Amino acid sequence: MIEKLGTVFKQFEKEISLLTNKADILNLKAKYIGKKGEVSEVLQGLKDLILEERQKVGPVANEIKDKIQNIIQDKLNKAEIEEINDGLKQNRVDVTRVESAFVNNHEHGGLHPITLIQQEVENIFLSMGFEVLDGPHIENEHNNFIALNIPADHPARDMQDTFWFHSPSGDVEKKALLRTHTSCVQIRGMKERRPPFRFIAPGKVFRCERTDASHEMVFHQTEGMLVGENISVTNLIYFMKVLLSEIFKKDVEVRLRPGFFPFVEPGFELDIKCLICGGTGCSVCKQVGWVELLPCGMVHPSVLQMSGIDPAKYNGFAFGLGLDRLVMMRYGIDDIRHFHSGDLRFVSQFKSY
Amino acid sequence: MKISIEWLNDYVEIPKLSAKEIGEKFTLATAEVEGVVETGAHLEKICVVEIKKITQHPDADKLNLVTFSLGKGDDLQVVCGASNVKVGMRVPYAPIGTSFPDGLILTPKKIRGIVSEGMLCSTQELGLTEDSSGLMDLGPVAPLGQNMLTYLEEKKDIILDVDNKSLTHRPDLWGHFGIAREFATIFKSPLKDRFTQSWELSLTSKFTKDRSPITPRIDGDCSCLGYYGLNVDGVVVNDSPRWLQRRLIAAGLRPINNIVDISNYVMLELGNPLHIFDRDLISGSEVIIKKSGASYKFITLDEVEREIVPADTVICDKSGALVLGGIMGGLNCGVSTKTTKIFIEVANWKAVDIRKTSTRLGLRTDSSMRFEKTLDTLMCKRAMLRTLELILEICPKARVVGSLEYAGPSLINKNPLVIKTSVEKICSVLGHQISAQEIKRIFTSLGFGVEESGNKLQVTVPSYRATKDVEFEADLIEEIGRIVGYDNMPPLSPSLCVKPILLSPTYTLHRKIRSFLTLNSSAYEIMTYPLVGKDLLEKCFAGENRDSDLVILNSLSNEHDRMRPSMIPSLLEASAVNVKNLSSFKMFEIGRSYLSGKNEDFASERSQLGIVFFDKESTPYIDLLNSCERLLNHLGINFQIINANNKFKNPLIPSDWAWTHPFENLDIKIMGKSAGIIFSCHPMLLSKFKIKGHLSVMIIDLNEIEEKPLKDKVKYKPLSKYPCSTFDWTVLAKKGSAIGDILSLVNKTKIKEMESCLIVDIFALDDIHDAITLRAAFSDPEKTLDGEFLKSARERLVNGLEKAGYPLKV
Repeated sequence: MIEKLGTVFKQFEKEISLLTNKADILNLKAKYIGKKGEVSEVLQGLKDLILEERQKVGPVANEIKDKIQNIIQDKLNKAEIEEINDGLKQNRVDVTRVESAFVNNHEHGGLHPITLIQQEVENIFLSMGFEVLDGPHIENEHNNFIALNIPADHPARDMQDTFWFHSPSGDVEKKALLRTHTSCVQIRGMKERRPPFRFIAPGKVFRCERTDASHEMVFHQTEGMLVGENISVTNLIYFMKVLLSEIFKKDVEVRLRPGFFPFVEPGFELDIKCLICGGTGCSVCKQVGWVELLPCGMVHPSVLQMSGIDPAKYNGFAFGLGLDRLVMMRYGIDDIRHFHSGDLRFVSQFKSY
Repeated sequence: MKISIEWLNDYVEIPKLSAKEIGEKFTLATAEVEGVVETGAHLEKICVVEIKKITQHPDADKLNLVTFSLGKGDDLQVVCGASNVKVGMRVPYAPIGTSFPDGLILTPKKIRGIVSEGMLCSTQELGLTEDSSGLMDLGPVAPLGQNMLTYLEEKKDIILDVDNKSLTHRPDLWGHFGIAREFATIFKSPLKDRFTQSWELSLTSKFTKDRSPITPRIDGDCSCLGYYGLNVDGVVVNDSPRWLQRRLIAAGLRPINNIVDISNYVMLELGNPLHIFDRDLISGSEVIIKKSGASYKFITLDEVEREIVPADTVICDKSGALVLGGIMGGLNCGVSTKTTKIFIEVANWKAVDIRKTSTRLGLRTDSSMRFEKTLDTLMCKRAMLRTLELILEICPKARVVGSLEYAGPSLINKNPLVIKTSVEKICSVLGHQISAQEIKRIFTSLGFGVEESGNKLQVTVPSYRATKDVEFEADLIEEIGRIVGYDNMPPLSPSLCVKPILLSPTYTLHRKIRSFLTLNSSAYEIMTYPLVGKDLLEKCFAGENRDSDLVILNSLSNEHDRMRPSMIPSLLEASAVNVKNLSSFKMFEIGRSYLSGKNEDFASERSQLGIVFFDKESTPYIDLLNSCERLLNHLGINFQIINANNKFKNPLIPSDWAWTHPFENLDIKIMGKSAGIIFSCHPMLLSKFKIKGHLSVMIIDLNEIEEKPLKDKVKYKPLSKYPCSTFDWTVLAKKGSAIGDILSLVNKTKIKEMESCLIVDIFALDDIHDAITLRAAFSDPEKTLDGEFLKSARERLVNGLEKAGYPLKV
């Protein structure tokens, strides 16, 4: 009996190994363990045996039945997956047919590089408790010059060639001009606030200047101002170092040297150690090892006074950061005129920022 | 301004540092040094040689092989192309390794196959003249082997080129003596001030009892702040001595003759410009300083005819104007080789007036540049005596006639400016501890007087710093800060109060728009010029009146002479750039347009969003419309997109503008007000910009949206417990029907259980009809909708559309 079962099982293994079709497998299942299957018949024949035999053959027969059952189930599962996969094959797509392989693809757009850096600067200052202000491009002489301690005929006006809507020598009361710096937002900011306060003001500024690869008549600055009690020059140095280290993503060596701007006293030019040569001298830093980056200083007492802040009680610092230069340094952009060109070949290079 | 260290050494001992270090010290403490040049070092290497033999170069017609001797018996040979070379001539020779002022360093090289052991030089190559022809002939007695520095009586020097702009506020630094005082303070080295009282006496003792042949007189109100005059006879006009010429050249001026050179020398040394007249060319016995009072032509020393206006201050004699005060002398009274009697003027002028006149004439001279900085009248006398000292030294036969004459307001008893401060205040503003002793040292070394009373300091500002430079305590603090060096002050965080700061509504809105458009609409942000030209505006808005444009008076070109009243022209211009490279693109700008203001305001600036979609093949209008809807939904703004209506003029385009597309043109209302437009450009407009294809534009005025923070309008509804039933049906519609009409018909049925009804598919059935499949969704939050309700709802929808001409497709 047991021998017979062994032969039957071997026979089963042989037959099933040839099958892949679900129906054939089911037929084979019936042949062996169906009601009249070969194994089932053995099991049915057990009752005719003596107890001793029955106890011997019974477990073996059941074991073989279970084995067959499992093999069949396994085979059926495989057959089903294959059947589904065949279906999937019918609907197979070309996975290399991605939009980036096509002309006119619009994967995603991108921001203008000036915006990118401006937002970065905004975020740095926001995180340090500075408000972000905005101001008009068309300003008047008072906010752009007089309230910043630059009266008419002051030589400092020579440094900032101004676009005028009214003749600077005429007698119109509020002579209109295009702001030459974002410093006029200082005046607006001070009028609307009581100390202590701190804010930055990014935006476009205008100079009556012939354009070439490194000069633009329209460019971008960020003004910054902090006013409070007992503010010091070393506080200013602190903020400038933090700002520049964040922007350049590394510790930047800075130096402050005297610089003359009528609305600050003392006034400074802030230089950073040349990022290209590390200070040994190259063409970018004109062999000096340092690159002039931003003017800053302690707010001039007259400027505070004119805007209604008591200079005996409060003081503060202000700075102006040129954004275009920063962007050009960061990406090695060779021509400042690209910024306002509207040319997408330029702008699209910054989309993965 | 060029500063010679060799010259400075007359007044202060400068430590033996490299040229670069000296420049850097000055940059950090005082003013920016733009360049540092070492001169004369090459001359030390170059020496006198005698030519022994000349033979033709075997391979070049115009080159010779020249053998020469340094006088030590060892002959050398160079290849030389100079035509004046001859045997026996003594010339300068530069050996291998010499580095020339123009940067050339002599290296061993072969010229046409023959090794040249250095170079025989011309005056130009030595840096002595700007051009030359042939080798410098040193004559037969030049000592062989002597180096050229000794031979030419030259000196090695370091020249600092100081940025003039960084000296704008420092009238005292426009001469070497003032710079020397800075170095003395920086290097803690004493200032050798030779201009003492005894020095003054040694010169005033030369004055005589004679009547001065020429005296100055100020006539009425003019820009003169004080005028000294001195008469000197017996001068001999000649070339200046070499040392004086050398210093002028080092400082960037060309030597002319001894008298003119002395006046320039004193200006470069003390910072006071002066003028020397040939007295024989002055008629009468006085010079009158006055406003010209009339307009006339005047020829200045540079032989240019210039227009004098009544407000200009001139110096006249009986016959007319001689000098344009503080700016330049006239051609008719200058010193010439014939001059023997001179009248020396040292004066001071109102800075503002000098600036006005020189700006008007476009004539900025070494003199006007200095007077513009507000000089100190008290320094004029010293400059006069220094001039006299040099004239007496260089023209030993010269003698003063009469005494020093002065015209102008009294200079005696002018109260010096005193500013109160304290060590504590200085340290607190700098944020750095500095000893009282060091503070006093710095002030004293810079010429300030310091009196201490308790904690307080009374600082007397020297007159040459008090003209406008030092006015406040803050100015004093700067003096200490810069000399101590900001590099030596460690950064320090202030202790500030903590309060929440958020990005303003405007910036938040702009950021939201930007990120949505780049990520959702795949558009690129661009920037265009806010300044445009009349031509561009007329190309875009032909026929519109341009009178209210905001025009710039001093524009640089016609293309950028006014503010744009609309962003449309700028966007079209930018599109024209991009159609050359791309067959489709999407871009946007958040920019401004500028209109003339109302009432008191000169201008009104509108913050606007402009979007452009372009496609060469088919209109991108629907794509743009979708982007616009999505954007406004994303921003949570209450908006409507409606048909353009001629009755309500859109403020973003000129009324009756002909260049919008007849069908692709909708208005955007925001919070009930017309605040935007979405249109495709008319092909006629595009052709003017040479754009072939389809271009759609959207402009939204952001001003009113920016003012308030965006509101979170999200309302949560509990999820329904009851199922939602949907119903699809297909209707026939004639081609050209607007699906918007069909949907609004459906919505008119006002079935309150209908959650939504939208289009599933549109299928072109034949040439006349489209089959449009719609799907309506029904639900009730309170119960499951029964079959009867659904049946009647379906009937209402189908019948409603059928009646309106959209029959059910069977």
